[in-house]
Amino acid sequence: MDLAQFLNGMRDPSGVPFFPVVFQFLMVLTFTLHIVCVNVVVGGLAISIWEAWKGGPYGRRLARGLAKASTIILSVAIVLGVAPLLFVQVIYDPFWYASNTMSAIWAMLFLVWVCTAFYAAYGFYLGNKKGDAYGELKLFWAYVAFGAMALAGITIHTLTMEALLPDMWHKWLIDGNGALLTGGARFHGMALGRLLHFFMASFAVTGVYMILYAWYFSPRPDMEPEYLAYVAKKGVNIALYGTLLAAATGFWWAGEVPESLGFLSNPVFLLSVLAAVIFILYLANSQNDPANHAIPITVLLLITVFVMSYAREILRMKYVGAFDYSIFAYKLNLSWGSTLLFFATFVLGLVVLYFPLLCAFKTGRTEPGKVVVIPEKVGSLANILLVGWFIVVAGLGIIISFKNGTLP
Amino acid sequence: MYPFWEVPLVTSGMIIAFIASFHILPSHLATGAFWFNAYIEREAVKKDRPELYDFLSRFTLLILIFCFVIGSITGVGIWFSATVASPRGISGLIHNYVWGWATEWVFFFLEIATIYVYYYTLGRIDKESHLKLGVAYALAAWISMVIITGILGFMLTSGKWIETGGFFDGFFNQTYWPQLFVRTSMMLGIAGIYATIVASRMKNKAVGQEIVRKASLWGIAGMVFGAIFTLWYLFKLPESVKDMAFHGGLPYLKTLLCVAAIAYFIVLLYFIIFGLIRPQMAGTVTGIIILLVLFIGIGAGEGFREGARRPYIISQYMYGNQIIARDVPALGVKSEVAKYQEKGITKSLYWAKHLDLDRAEDRIKAGRMLALFLCGNCHSFEVNGIIRPLPSLLSRVGVEEAEDIAGFMDALGDYPYMPEFPGNDLDKELIGEYLATLPKGGE
Repeated sequence: MDLAQFLNGMRDPSGVPFFPVVFQFLMVLTFTLHIVCVNVVVGGLAISIWEAWKGGPYGRRLARGLAKASTIILSVAIVLGVAPLLFVQVIYDPFWYASNTMSAIWAMLFLVWVCTAFYAAYGFYLGNKKGDAYGELKLFWAYVAFGAMALAGITIHTLTMEALLPDMWHKWLIDGNGALLTGGARFHGMALGRLLHFFMASFAVTGVYMILYAWYFSPRPDMEPEYLAYVAKKGVNIALYGTLLAAATGFWWAGEVPESLGFLSNPVFLLSVLAAVIFILYLANSQNDPANHAIPITVLLLITVFVMSYAREILRMKYVGAFDYSIFAYKLNLSWGSTLLFFATFVLGLVVLYFPLLCAFKTGRTEPGKVVVIPEKVGSLANILLVGWFIVVAGLGIIISFKNGTLP
Repeated sequence: MYPFWEVPLVTSGMIIAFIASFHILPSHLATGAFWFNAYIEREAVKKDRPELYDFLSRFTLLILIFCFVIGSITGVGIWFSATVASPRGISGLIHNYVWGWATEWVFFFLEIATIYVYYYTLGRIDKESHLKLGVAYALAAWISMVIITGILGFMLTSGKWIETGGFFDGFFNQTYWPQLFVRTSMMLGIAGIYATIVASRMKNKAVGQEIVRKASLWGIAGMVFGAIFTLWYLFKLPESVKDMAFHGGLPYLKTLLCVAAIAYFIVLLYFIIFGLIRPQMAGTVTGIIILLVLFIGIGAGEGFREGARRPYIISQYMYGNQIIARDVPALGVKSEVAKYQEKGITKSLYWAKHLDLDRAEDRIKAGRMLALFLCGNCHSFEVNGIIRPLPSLLSRVGVEEAEDIAGFMDALGDYPYMPEFPGNDLDKELIGEYLATLPKGGE
């Protein structure tokens, strides 16, 4: 049995319930959102440690702000990460499952790292919450959180790289005596350029987060303008140099990719380079008043990360394509009903999401002590939609259950 | 076949079971707690009782820190553990229910957005809107249960899916509704325990005891309805499962049910004694003890559900060893048992391609691979293994020599809880030769 036959034979026999390109698009989109959040957590922890050391009073206040953000954004990152994890299993199942089973202990440890990172981040935040906002910080839990995030990053990087190198699997899994290794303790496939690229991107994204922070809190009378200016200025510098470093390590990563894949001449890769150049130029041009450019900077960042994520996906297709694997060759067993269920729910979810986001946005921009009034209809609509969703689905379920004889 | 992760003594399946059982505590609290929260907040708003907000703040922080992260990490953990322990099983579920999971993910996102905003806007937005945020969280969280129950139910009873391959035919299977009602009741019970712990720690003792009483009433209602719906759930199980569980096939299933019932009864007593009769005695220590009792009960209940599926990992479709048991013509899926019985597994095993089956030592290696893939998900290979140790089981039935073991493979299908052997004569010989090398485990 050759490798291509083996890989294609491991596809799930049930096929996929909708066109693979849709899963691919959703995977890239949700990965983009996930990685942006991960970047803010990693970069935020690193910058808060640095600012606590060297930043002076404003730096220490910023460190506290980033500590709080890291707890919330890590939770969001975890939830957002579920979606690309789901979609990768739909279209790249042979690769993902193989890499995870061969390094099973590390796949399990990934959960430990993330849990540790979250609780340590909370320890860092709560441990420095009380007292003077400009005072010295206790950093022990920040080190733990950052270390755990780094380990989580290394682990997931390795699992991903292992998945892309199926021609190595047999060698990795069979010991010198020809027996199958089943301990799940080894991991392979480290690509330093790729790993560093994601790490450097954390500074770029966190820099933008800081610019956004300065813009967002600017209407609040209790926020010192000098402090916000400090954050914005730091932010734009970190974003600029972070992006330059991410670009440099990105080219290092590109150099690690086998030439035979022809990745460097791919239009999507070239587009991602162009997006990064535009982003860098815009950042350089916003140095004097970054907070006023917060929204275009954020939009440009998201576009850049999205295009880069698509380039990364193209690279994956090229890696697996070398073994005659194509996601577009997946057997289709169209399920229109469940597809409609998801997309209708997705749209409904966006409408419902407006309610908590509006509450958060308005409250965050209002100084503590004042009560914000939210238009009554917004909350009512959100809850009516949720109840409506249940009524429709439960109604459908009851009809199907009676029709199929599973009720009464 | 994917690479295999071997966990000595307990098997990788137990890792899933442990994470899944633990996941139930935070996940059911995440889904149930905010119904109670919304009830208390409604009291605070309608009756103008600001003293109740202290409880809301504390309870939400617990849910946020404990449930959200532990709940979501262990939820992802079930995926990861299923990925490494049973990749074809999780793949089968995902390829049929990806849109179900994706739909559930939309509600996860709503949950996280609403709970953080709820916590950080307490006292900062108008009270009515804050109450609506709590209700939105409660609804989103419960709907995520409405969805996942369909997928869990599908694993136990796949309904008409086997005939039609249809998403909803498998989703709304015969145990869907009872399971949904049992889980909904249980979530109120779990929320009740946590609420009593939080309320018992409040500085305002009178308010704390009032909430302990109310939480206990919720808990009692959850436990009583949970018991009623459990009977419905058991009644809806397929006859083959009832035979296995209650008429001697797998007696341990009945034991698990008894353990779950005893735990259930202890929790009910806790609510009555520490909640209604002596609320001043409710505290963190008793609460944690009762949570441990509940954890044992949940573990037993989940163990029953897992055991009742045997020999399948997905009812009627995929065996515990991840081999597809039958055709699903609507999806173009063919039984792998028939295929492998005709062509053999070893010849098509990518990981065995370097082995020379004319050499005795290579035959043992091939046999070990086969044993891992076909038996290793459910059986440990150590003589002192904790989970269904093969050496002991083989010795108990008196088959210890290679030929006897190979012959015994033909009889596997006679046991209602075992899959039929999916291989040809060569596979049987190889597996027999390997298993005969294991230490003997009988008396």
